[in-house]
Amino acid sequence: MTAVSVRNVSKVFNQGKPNQVDALSNVALDVKQGEFVSLIGPSGCGKSTLLRLVANLLEPTSGEVTVNGKTAAQARLDQDYGMAFQQAGLFDWRTVRKNIELPLELKGWDKQQRSARADEMLQLVQLPEFGDHYPWQLSGGMQQRIAIARALAAHPPLLLMDEPFGALDEMTREYMQGELLRICAATGTTVVFVTHSIPEAVYLSNRVVVMSPRPGRITKVVDVSLGGERNEDTRNRTAFFEAITAVREGLRGMHAAHVGLGNDDR
Amino acid sequence: MTSVVRRAVQRSAMFVAALALVAVIWETYKALGPEEGGQLLGIRILPRTSEYAMPHVWDMFSRFGRPEVRGSARTVFDAVLAGAWYSFRLSVAGFVFGAVIGVGLAVLMARFKWVQRGVLPYLVVSQTVPLIALAPLIVSWGGKLEIGAFVWPRWMSVSVLGAFLAFFPIAVGTLRGLAAAPAASVELMQSYAASWTKTLFKLRFPTAVPYMVPAFRLGASASVIGVVVAEISTGLRGGIGRLIIEYAREATGDPAKVYTAIFGAAALGLVMAGAVVAVDVVVMRNRPKEAVV
Repeated sequence: MTAVSVRNVSKVFNQGKPNQVDALSNVALDVKQGEFVSLIGPSGCGKSTLLRLVANLLEPTSGEVTVNGKTAAQARLDQDYGMAFQQAGLFDWRTVRKNIELPLELKGWDKQQRSARADEMLQLVQLPEFGDHYPWQLSGGMQQRIAIARALAAHPPLLLMDEPFGALDEMTREYMQGELLRICAATGTTVVFVTHSIPEAVYLSNRVVVMSPRPGRITKVVDVSLGGERNEDTRNRTAFFEAITAVREGLRGMHAAHVGLGNDDR
Repeated sequence: MTSVVRRAVQRSAMFVAALALVAVIWETYKALGPEEGGQLLGIRILPRTSEYAMPHVWDMFSRFGRPEVRGSARTVFDAVLAGAWYSFRLSVAGFVFGAVIGVGLAVLMARFKWVQRGVLPYLVVSQTVPLIALAPLIVSWGGKLEIGAFVWPRWMSVSVLGAFLAFFPIAVGTLRGLAAAPAASVELMQSYAASWTKTLFKLRFPTAVPYMVPAFRLGASASVIGVVVAEISTGLRGGIGRLIIEYAREATGDPAKVYTAIFGAAALGLVMAGAVVAVDVVVMRNRPKEAVV
């Protein structure tokens, strides 16, 4: 079954005004259930816009977006997806536990259900002893794990992530990538993931969608054949580097032969 | 918590030191300045230092302990305390009224841009109307109000004038705070399909607290000023404002007396602002310890 279906979608900001921007032009994308898809491209290629169209935080100018067979608007009302941003965006005035409970509160769950689910999510992100801390007492990586726990608290079938690890240092970032794969494998969640980093996109994804700007469009889709089980060794495999090369080729519009391997992975 | 206590002690020490400094400057000028003031080309540029114009600081304080009028059992301290208590209650009423109006307006302005565009300029204009001119008007309007058995008492007009000064900083500060929610947090609430009201209470108000506290502190002192000025200009009995005029009339014979009432009014403002700060410490105890505003 298709988790996300984007059909011939265009998005124009400030239509008819001097500052008109063609953010997306005729984009089509299908994401299967349980699939991990990354959107990658330079600034202004519309990858965040595409994510926001799926999340129904923006309306397309033309075309159609469906999530789990519903319109994007209905999917948002039903909270069929969870969302995580570059900034963890936890609420300073709530404890970690209360932050995770926020989407459940808004769904009208009672206190006991919320508390049980918060415990479960804290276990999932392996921070069970931090429930009663406040977010500002946690490191950046821990905060981001709590943000993921919050996004997944209502067990949505789809997770939308906008450069969630962009503000983290390299070591924390690689650790978090492993954590995210473990969590997704445990929950069977479908993920649409926006990133600037080629190795991150390749390491995480089943498919990497390469986008280019002015107007924003999909130029290439790279299938990553690294299998389901991924660990630190994955980063040294030939298939990993081949996929990186393929993505970079798509980004630069350049032939693979001109690209040296391993000298500029970031 | 210990750092909070230490900071409170430090601040109190600074406050006392600043007060002592003012007293020292006052006494130094009184000792050194010319008795009949300094004149330049017939214009007095230096104030007189005579006992009538500038009583000694210790005379002002010792006046608290002596009877209000000769032969009375009631000391000035008792009178000022009673007046301050009366004005305090009016100020609290004015502050609460002003806070309700101010926060209500801020919410409306945050919800509807057209309300903000339409109302905000008038809020600014409202604060340029001199309170002295407004006070008799409000009192006379109040005097005409009669709803069934309810007769508008005069003290309520005075509280309304306190509210009139208090609502403005509260409305502006709250509005700024409500608009301060990060875009990502607003998107997050949208992604949960949260209604505007839910977003208001779960996100916007908590974000606004660090902006609202200084606004409320300003509002609290503004309310005291409004009440004291309104008491003076309407001549309402019982409050510290009335004491200030009464004691000022006796300034020729008893120059230290009026200062006791002025100190009373100043202390009143401090108590009001202090109460807000105390609430701030409690509300913000679990927030990150950094200045937001």
